[in-house]
Amino acid sequence: MTEVLLEIKDLGIQFKTGEGAIQPIRGVNFTLKKGETLGVVGESGSGKSVTSLAVMGLLPEKKSKIVSGSILFNNEDITHLNERQYRKLRGNEMSMIFQEPMTSLNPVFTIGEQLGEPLKQHKKMSKKERKEAIIKILKQVGIPRAEQIINDYPHQLSGGMRQRVMISLALLCEPKLLICDEPTTALDVTIQAQILELMKQIKAEKNMSLLFITHDLGVVAEMCDRVVVMYAGEIVEVAEINELFDNPLHPYTKGLIDSLPTNNARKSKLYSIKGQVPKPDEIGKGCAFANRCPYAFNKCVESAPPTFSKGEHLSKCWLQESDRQVNIQ
Amino acid sequence: MTESSLIEVKNLKKYYEISQGLFKPKLVVKAVDDVSFSIKRGETFALVGESGCGKSTTGKTLLRLTDATSGEVRFKGEDILSLPYEKMRSLRKEMQMVFQDPYASLNPKMTIRQILLEPLRVHKKYSPEERMKKIVDILEIVGLSRSHLDRHPNEFSGGQRQRIGIARAVVLNPDFIIADEPVSALDVSVQSQVINLMLELQKEFGLTYLFISHDLSVVEHMTDRVAVMYLGKIVELADTEELFANPKHPYTQALISAVPVSHPKDVKERIVLKGDVPNPANPPSGCTFHTRCPFVMDKCKSVEPSLTEIGNGHITSCHLYSKNKEENINAIIYS
Ligand SMILES: Nc1ncnc2c1ncn2[C@@H]1O[C@H](COP(=O)(O)OP(=O)(O)OP(=O)(O)O)[C@@H](O)[C@H]1O
Ligand SMILES: Nc1ncnc2c1ncn2[C@@H]1O[C@H](COP(=O)(O)OP(=O)(O)OP(=O)(O)O)[C@@H](O)[C@H]1O
Ligand code: SF4
Ligand SMILES: [Mg+2]
Ligand SMILES: [Mg+2]
Repeated sequence: MTEVLLEIKDLGIQFKTGEGAIQPIRGVNFTLKKGETLGVVGESGSGKSVTSLAVMGLLPEKKSKIVSGSILFNNEDITHLNERQYRKLRGNEMSMIFQEPMTSLNPVFTIGEQLGEPLKQHKKMSKKERKEAIIKILKQVGIPRAEQIINDYPHQLSGGMRQRVMISLALLCEPKLLICDEPTTALDVTIQAQILELMKQIKAEKNMSLLFITHDLGVVAEMCDRVVVMYAGEIVEVAEINELFDNPLHPYTKGLIDSLPTNNARKSKLYSIKGQVPKPDEIGKGCAFANRCPYAFNKCVESAPPTFSKGEHLSKCWLQESDRQVNIQ
Repeated sequence: MTESSLIEVKNLKKYYEISQGLFKPKLVVKAVDDVSFSIKRGETFALVGESGCGKSTTGKTLLRLTDATSGEVRFKGEDILSLPYEKMRSLRKEMQMVFQDPYASLNPKMTIRQILLEPLRVHKKYSPEERMKKIVDILEIVGLSRSHLDRHPNEFSGGQRQRIGIARAVVLNPDFIIADEPVSALDVSVQSQVINLMLELQKEFGLTYLFISHDLSVVEHMTDRVAVMYLGKIVELADTEELFANPKHPYTQALISAVPVSHPKDVKERIVLKGDVPNPANPPSGCTFHTRCPFVMDKCKSVEPSLTEIGNGHITSCHLYSKNKEENINAIIYS
């Protein structure tokens, strides 16, 4: 059996807002195996970033609370570590590439200074060793003139270069877990192709585990071994990548795949999922997708479906109840 | 100008001067450098290309949101670049823009109700009751609802804000919409709703779109013709189906090959370009693509290729396709 690096069990996260508490993460369960790339897809606001921030111990301290469940990293419960304990893990055993590349590099420090920081914190290295390590990693991510670039500031670099710097920053301490939150969304396709290629290659070399968050199913198809699909703060489907595309079990996943322009005749009306994601306070006792689901029946509105499994393929939909097992193809 | 074109762009240039400090010469960024095209009535015309190639600047110059350096833009036959301010203002309701950045384009102090009512009020369209009905309808079409009316933009996700921007542009029923990356920030499921909405509105009102996007699968789906830009210039222009089936310019070929697969089992021959987009303030000599081109020849480094028609409205600027005999052989090998 493959070893598990990260296990999230029944995670629930609450936020305090002006209008009272909301719970946008209502029950997230998944495991990430060693050496695996696990894709996380889902609607904007479904909780992808919040889930990954929770893993990194980066939730806003005063505003948010983990109200249920646990996060296990390397078989260790890290759910309630304090900031000091987390600092040992972060940037070292686990790191993250954030959704907005510009906000995560500090404009007033040079590239070299920013890359030096995690090494100072986590590794006992001399100044010279640090510089060598930094140049080496920058070269690895395909940055030309690395020796000069370390003296540049972020704004002097192009978007693609900045994202490479972000990647090298994340890889610096050779983490076991790398979380990528939409790492290429802000980039051009030709640069995206370069970066994805680079990430595949580095992942293979270092045997890392990747949690790869994206809303682009094409990128998922290229990068991932397995996929979890999130909807309204829950995991609604988990499947091996080919299985997900060929035989989606959850109507939301099927809707997503059917809406891809490439799966629709040119100029035709695209398949689209009607309606919109319910807000946290609009989710009733039934299935969170019921108001948009073309297959919904009475039971869907009355009670929330549990997770059904078909081998390794999991889905949270009443259609998969053992006496029903409806094929939605 | 041909009968059927709604807008015609000729030799449009937009140069930005960037000050380098007191004693240094100014840098000139040729954001749009001698671009010509026309868009037919009812057509969806796409501008694609990498970040910084000048797509948004082209769009903004067409609407006079920024002044052109030189060139001509004719809308319904009228040269709008020389139109007096007042006339331009009233033309604006016929030409709308959906912006790329959903954060910057909505006034954070206004409620959604105010944001959507404003254009109707400014251009004196409909009675007050009709206005309310209209904006609620539009909100629902873009996937939001009446319950959002009294909220402010910062209470919405990026995706939701973009939908509000689209609602604001279509609420006036304009003839021509420049949509600058209108669906880039949206979820796949909402993206398809918005594309359908744009297609529907187009059918119903004969709308003409300039569709700026870097998402080629969306461009392939919904546009009629495509112009590919690189560093301020159009390097290839063709009917959409022709362009995707038969890309000629090496840059277009790389661009199309870089689109992610649509199924994990698909394999794709990928042309991975080396390096980044060059600095537009200091573009390479000759063919500006020569620093990244897999087929670069000596000539490319010094001589700028011109746009040449290579068949039925399909034009490209690349020495592989110039009339020279020897190079034609290369073109056949590489295409
Ligand atoms: N600091 C916060 N305070 C209150 N609510 C928050 C906060 N951060 C996130 N949320 C809410 O949590 C939910 C999940 O947000 P999250 O950022 O995880 O979505 P996402 O899946 O990453 O979406 P996207 O694809 O748009 O990045 C949203 O409804 C969001 O409004
Ligand atoms: N106001 C400005 N002042 C100076 N330079 C500008 C200005 N606006 C744009 N530019 C430059 O002009 C060039 C074209 O920019 P533009 O925004 O049109 O590109 P784009 O193709 O829309 O890119 P993207 O895909 O990133 O939106 C870029 O090099 C940009 O830096
Ligand atoms: S449980 Fe019912 S409503 Fe929910 S996805 Fe399945 S069929 Fe649709
Ligand atoms: Mg996110
Ligand atoms: Mg732009």
